Amino acid sequence: MPARLLLILLLSPLLCTRALGADAPTASEIIRSAIDHYRGTTSYSEMTMVIHRPDWERSMSMRAWTEGDKHTLVRVTAPRKDAGNGTLTVDGNMWTFTPSINRVIKIPASMMSQNWMGSDFSNKDVSKDTDIIDQYDHSLLETREQDGHTVYVIQSVPHEEAAVVWGREVLTVRDDWVLLQQDFRDQDDVLVKTLRALEIQPMSGRNVATVMRMSQQENPEEWTELRTGAIQFDVDVAANLFTLSNLRNPRQ
Amino acid sequence: MGAGISRLAWRNLWRNRRRTLIMLAAVAVGVWAMVFMSAMMRGMVDEMVRSGLEQLPGMVQIHQRAYRDDPSVVNSMPSPEGTLQAALAEPPVTAWAARVRVPAMVASARASRGLTLLGVDPAAERALGSVPPTISEGRFLEDEHDRGVVLGQRLVERLESDLGKRVVIMSQDPQNDVADRGVRVVGIYKARLPGDEERFAYAGRAALQELLQVPGQVSEVAVMATDYRRPQALVEHLARAAGPQLEVLPWTELDPFLSSMLDLQDGFSLVFMVVVFLALSFGLVNTLAMAVFERIREIGLMQALGMRPGLILRQVLLESLYLLLLGLAVGNGAAWLTIKPLESGIELSSVARGMEMFAMGATLYPALYWRDMVLATVVVLGLGVLASLIPAWRAARLDPIRALNSH
Repeated sequence: MPARLLLILLLSPLLCTRALGADAPTASEIIRSAIDHYRGTTSYSEMTMVIHRPDWERSMSMRAWTEGDKHTLVRVTAPRKDAGNGTLTVDGNMWTFTPSINRVIKIPASMMSQNWMGSDFSNKDVSKDTDIIDQYDHSLLETREQDGHTVYVIQSVPHEEAAVVWGREVLTVRDDWVLLQQDFRDQDDVLVKTLRALEIQPMSGRNVATVMRMSQQENPEEWTELRTGAIQFDVDVAANLFTLSNLRNPRQ
Repeated sequence: MGAGISRLAWRNLWRNRRRTLIMLAAVAVGVWAMVFMSAMMRGMVDEMVRSGLEQLPGMVQIHQRAYRDDPSVVNSMPSPEGTLQAALAEPPVTAWAARVRVPAMVASARASRGLTLLGVDPAAERALGSVPPTISEGRFLEDEHDRGVVLGQRLVERLESDLGKRVVIMSQDPQNDVADRGVRVVGIYKARLPGDEERFAYAGRAALQELLQVPGQVSEVAVMATDYRRPQALVEHLARAAGPQLEVLPWTELDPFLSSMLDLQDGFSLVFMVVVFLALSFGLVNTLAMAVFERIREIGLMQALGMRPGLILRQVLLESLYLLLLGLAVGNGAAWLTIKPLESGIELSSVARGMEMFAMGATLYPALYWRDMVLATVVVLGLGVLASLIPAWRAARLDPIRALNSH
């Protein structure tokens, strides 16, 4: 590791000509930038989630708003039987609203590791996805050139008492801050699941991973894809957007 | 006169030695079966109560009033202080432990399970006898500040985790917010009942209080005292010291199933003994009836010579009484001799899974109670004499003329 670090330090002036002499970004800066890149300060997106299993597949259309690291609101628009279902996360807590029973339910701790709306994402993946910034130690494993981009491979090891079951996560981030791949490995360093960017397109002035697929290593035929149809960054969000009353009575 | 009759009865008993010996053997085997089976059942029930008390744990528990309806961290109570602490330091209390007990989830990269998470002070729990009996790997918690967690063997297998690995524990704080933290598995325990290995996990009390944001608060105080059969006096004493906010309950109310098992056991022993005796009584009545039948002429002669019917009745009853007393002595003795060597435990590991359904371990410890021997003796003597009344009554009512002329 020190040898590789030394090599990077020696070569960095040559490699990072594009950075115009700026220091090579540290691992945590890269992660920070990647998350800011796909969430923006605020963002609004329209996407379709496709849940695939060997003998069936279903898809759900939804709209999502984010603000900062801690606020996310997702609302399902189709199919009709799921339309109106909403999920709000604020500071790591999570609530769902189901119009058919007209109830807001707080997701209890016991359900945090269950899947979110039947997908391969857990409630925790959805509500705490930005925890990776401050609950992990990041280190740069590798920097390589790929398709005209610099690609950073970062290892993130959770802190001793972080509420994380993984042994480590390996993130691959392109120099335009698109997250290409995120591997979740258990404590024996066995790959359990992978989040992969399958398509990258420019949208609202940024390169965005428009198709992301989460797949289980043991069952490659079971996966969930998030297909982004449209995304806007730095939109104006109403002050009451991320509130329980707005979850129940949509005003946007 | 009495001595003469009893001698007559004793000699009559041994006139047909073989028949008497067979009957004696039947009574002895019957009594042995009564006492032996009672001891086995006592052993099973005692075991259930003992493991129940270890698991509750304690003979008496103190909670906040709403805790038993909703065992969440909201309904916790302050650690015992002042008068309550003083009351807990006196006899008959032998040990007590204050513990945090909350529903929680334990998650690994592969699976997650719901269980009851116990925040304990290891020293106090050890005194209470409620620590898992075997630590198969690693160690138990060192003190209440221990930041590790001790999980059951079966749970570790289900989670595909292992000693030294991290798992995430998740619960809720009093504001209903998610409280979660990664913890290392510092020990793996084996419970006497394998099902418990998936139901309970142990963490340091102070560490858990910090996670749940309830410093100094506990869910329950478990108290162990000298005699588990009579917890009521202790309950009243502790309730006075605890004050009206807290609920002090004996194990008989905390686990009514357990206490009703104990009552049921007493009734069941009696029913069992009576059933065994009913089978025996046919033999007994038949033996006496035969003895009377063979001696019809003799009885007639005694009556003709002026013996009163009451004395004849007494003679036949005495015969039966001697037979029963001998049988009881042999039967009780045999039961004592067979149970004593087994009291160190009978290995039943081949049916351990079935035993577990009754909340029992794989070893059965028969328990011989004097009460059961006395009960068997009373049942056999009382009902035996009652059954002998029929042939004795018949003998006493014989007409001397007819009896003398019968062949």
